[in-house]
Amino acid sequence: MKKPQTSNTSRRSFLKTTGTAAAATTMLSGIASGAHAGEDNVIQLALVGCGGRGTGAATNALSIDAGPIKLVAMADVFQSNLDNSHGNLVKNFGEQGKIDVAEDRKFIGFDAFQKAMDCLKPGDIVILTTPPGFRWVHYTYAIERGLNVFMEKPVTVDGPGTRKMLALNELALQKNLKVAVGLMCRHCDARRELFDRVQSGEIGEINMLRAYRMAGPTASAAVPPKPDGISDLMYQIKQFHGFLWLSGGAVSDFLIHNIDESCWIKNAWPIEAKASGGRHYRGDFIDQNFDTYSIEYTFEDGAKLFVNGRTIAGCNSEFASYAHGSKGLGVISSQSHWPSKARIYKGQNADKANLAWEYPQPEKHNPYEAEWEHLIAAIRADEPYNEVERGCMASLVTSMGRMAAHTGQVITLDKMMNCEHEFAPGIDKLTLESESPLQPNAEGKYPIPYPGLIKNREYA
Amino acid sequence: MLSCGLRFLFGQAGSASVLLICVFPNPLFAQTSAEATSQSEMQPYAEPITHTDVTIEMVPIPGGTFVMGSPPSELSRGEDEGPQHKIEVAPFWMGKTEITWDQYEIWGENIDIARRKIFDSPATPNDEIADAITRPTPPYTDMSFGMGKQQNPAICMTQHAARMYCKWLSAKTGHYYRLPTEAEWEYACRAGTTTAYSFGDDVAQLDDYAWHAENSEERYHDVGQKKPNPWALHDMHGSVSEWVLDQYIPSAYSKQTTLVSNPLTVPTVLFPRVVRGGGWDDEPGMLRSAVREGSSEDWKQQDPQVPQSIWYHTDAQAVGFRVVRPLVVPTAEERAKKWDSTAPPQLDPVVE
Repeated sequence: MKKPQTSNTSRRSFLKTTGTAAAATTMLSGIASGAHAGEDNVIQLALVGCGGRGTGAATNALSIDAGPIKLVAMADVFQSNLDNSHGNLVKNFGEQGKIDVAEDRKFIGFDAFQKAMDCLKPGDIVILTTPPGFRWVHYTYAIERGLNVFMEKPVTVDGPGTRKMLALNELALQKNLKVAVGLMCRHCDARRELFDRVQSGEIGEINMLRAYRMAGPTASAAVPPKPDGISDLMYQIKQFHGFLWLSGGAVSDFLIHNIDESCWIKNAWPIEAKASGGRHYRGDFIDQNFDTYSIEYTFEDGAKLFVNGRTIAGCNSEFASYAHGSKGLGVISSQSHWPSKARIYKGQNADKANLAWEYPQPEKHNPYEAEWEHLIAAIRADEPYNEVERGCMASLVTSMGRMAAHTGQVITLDKMMNCEHEFAPGIDKLTLESESPLQPNAEGKYPIPYPGLIKNREYA
Repeated sequence: MLSCGLRFLFGQAGSASVLLICVFPNPLFAQTSAEATSQSEMQPYAEPITHTDVTIEMVPIPGGTFVMGSPPSELSRGEDEGPQHKIEVAPFWMGKTEITWDQYEIWGENIDIARRKIFDSPATPNDEIADAITRPTPPYTDMSFGMGKQQNPAICMTQHAARMYCKWLSAKTGHYYRLPTEAEWEYACRAGTTTAYSFGDDVAQLDDYAWHAENSEERYHDVGQKKPNPWALHDMHGSVSEWVLDQYIPSAYSKQTTLVSNPLTVPTVLFPRVVRGGGWDDEPGMLRSAVREGSSEDWKQQDPQVPQSIWYHTDAQAVGFRVVRPLVVPTAEERAKKWDSTAPPQLDPVVE
């Protein structure tokens, strides 16, 4: 089996998605590292963001066999979210003694993340699973506290946030913190073998990739009108897939995995995107998303990656990624994320007669658990482990496609990286009583993109 | 007559809505072939779903007795298929095929509501009742797993989702639909036969009747393409395994010593519950009329959210269902106690 991805390519070489671990990492002394070297020490977890995925990530962390581990603190902005999450975790892990979250270690509010992290010792792990708009805020404090981190994807939603995260990450690298990013497809055994085979030339030169996440209405991407009795701020957080400042919207949240796995197999990040999309069925919905997105990414060598996203009911569905090479076709993922059913065909048709290789089925190793095994192994062995740069690049590339669709312009990677539109200035100062960074108009609708009319930012 | 049709939905509390029905006659009831007061009047019919061009084809299944389970001599037999015992089943209509994506997503993706809005068609009284029935939360993934939709069988729903679909369909149409019991399912599958399959014991004929692991090319196919069984039902063997109402208890048959009428093991825990008939990913032996399979928590492995959704079994890509409609509509009390009874309650987490 391949070793876990420990690389953190330098920003100068960020057009390569993989590579050997940057020399800088190993030269820097570990400050917080070593706290859990060895198998016997209990790793403590704090969960910041107790929604479905946060609780799922905590569940993955507590399920794997990697030495003693327990959850000691939880934070959210919704009491019911925290209560639901705690209830489910106690149900599944209470008897094993893995849930040790007394009432005074449950925290509600926009400063709850600090209080939860204050319950940890340097070298413990904080799980950052709030909407990604908050990621840099929480990461800042985790680094200050010397904590190892598991953060869910995406890790940024805009240009300024990406620059902030990359700069912050230099500090994490200096401290030798172990930081995982929830792009679990990179930890999938089948895809890793496909990656090796493609890099060794089995499908020739990759000239074109295709990725699809075309399904019906997905998660909270379509947001109905806000009811009375809840503020714009809290309603938007509850329906975070609908709002760019929180999640980056449907593109960032839903398409990032397929974009990232395609770029990984190509072993490069694209340098430019053009895209189209539109709002056909938004009706009374008040979110900022389009119903469809078609993105054409261009790599430095001219190769293309076409990405199609759709959230319309009643249509044909496809959720898969493909790499077309000069000698064959690589199927990166077939149906959703896992099992990947990675395989290689001779020629360009996925025709059974042309099958050249397939990863043995069934795939038993759940990548959502594998990403935790790799993180904790790195912590126990005190090996460099930091996935933030590639997480930032995957997030930025995804945002680049989104901005191209939302503005109707060609967006380069440089332009996206240096874009000055910060979706939520002051996000680090929000309180439960704050006004939202995104205000509704008189009809209760929030600002949406107008391609061709608003060109240098995604909404006004 | 009209009020009778809807009373099962409301019990005593429904009088106001019944009045509405009288003011706006339900066009469905003009379709006499869907109505019957005795077994001899039962005919095949197509149940329309308002605001769509979709219908569900139903065929009559006469009441009768049959021997449930398989003999020890049957090839590939599981212990849970015996002992064989005699069962009496009351008449019902059964879906000619499994519920398709076209039929399922009207509810699952609110197609009827969307079409009403876009095409400016007012809701009928039945629509209003149906709209109040809980629909699934939007999934995170493509639940057809790239295998196509439309006339393909709907898959990956939990038994709870299949039950709620029936509840919605009942409200929508004014006819009481539910999942079959395990006994009804096997009775209809056998269609009077006592062999391993409804076409006999010769596995060589299976390709004429069923999609299974050896001919499916690793995917499902449009329903109704294979030959029907003697009672005009398609795809009872293979295609997708079908939800029935019962809890799966391996030893259930050993308790049936005398002739039992309309048995149902009301579920009291979430897993395992019974699916029947085998699917496109199963070997021929799993497609036999008597095979019993229990659902499992593993059917949700891919769902990375916790709590996992009450609506989707992301890994049950060869599990679907078909509906039945009993000739004699049970009373509200009978439904609460038996036919619609299930525990524990399935509720989405609420965030306030």
